[in-house]
Amino acid sequence: MAKSLMIVDDSATMRKIIMRTIRMSGLEFDRTEEAGNGVEALEKLNAAPVDIMLCDINMPEMSGTEVVRKVRELSSCSETKIIMVSTESSQDVMDSVMADGANGFIAKPFTPEKFQEKLSPYMN
Amino acid sequence: MIDEICFSAALLEGAKEVFETMIFMDLEEPSEPDEQIEGDSFLGSITFTNSIEGCLAIRCSVPCAKNIAANMLGIDTPEEVNEEEVCDALGEVTNMVMGSVKSRIQTETGELLVSIPTVIHGQNLASSLGNRMSKVFVKVDAGDEEIIEFSFLYREGDK
Repeated sequence: MAKSLMIVDDSATMRKIIMRTIRMSGLEFDRTEEAGNGVEALEKLNAAPVDIMLCDINMPEMSGTEVVRKVRELSSCSETKIIMVSTESSQDVMDSVMADGANGFIAKPFTPEKFQEKLSPYMN
Repeated sequence: MIDEICFSAALLEGAKEVFETMIFMDLEEPSEPDEQIEGDSFLGSITFTNSIEGCLAIRCSVPCAKNIAANMLGIDTPEEVNEEEVCDALGEVTNMVMGSVKSRIQTETGELLVSIPTVIHGQNLASSLGNRMSKVFVKVDAGDEEIIEFSFLYREGDK
């Protein structure tokens, strides 16, 4: 089944690292998108929803938690799985973002195995 | 209050985890402890606040910073990495080391609120909190005769 992915992170370096790590994990996507902030992510999602979104939490302009809330308001993205990728390890923040509609969490620093573990349940 | 030895161990372990996992660089005890970073350097720093407040900083030479960025970006020739890419990469490294250290000390410090990282470039760069500051300093050998300095400056916070 074709799968699409969007990476939302204000760091271009981190977006490249995530993409490389996903390739190393063996996961394959038919379409990949990148967004440097939440506003750009929402614009791209409005134009073309994705199956899986990887989203940073601490970002300027719009935080990852706000991005999650706004994505969950989009009827076209009701099936989009949202995995937060962040150095933020506070249980309160994780509980809050999961309650807002995120589906999982990957802590930075990460390994290809971690992406395999967290994303493969949503690949079929 | 957590003691300086614990902060030092958390800083070193956190830095090693990030560098080994994300940058594919092994950090070792410096072979020459008195060695200094000469000339221009990059300094990445990130502030935190709550039960303690302060900043975590990472300083390294320009060639070392380019090596770090090249490894992160998968670029074979570090000379091709531009300053914007170095700043972005070092900011991410600083952010990840802070996250890694934070997770190791939060049992003692409680939750720390962390800022967005900043990176500057110049000579004789150093961080300071002024009075009442405690400082933990760790210097490591990053290979190719390059050293990286990690510092954790803190004082009692408002909460």
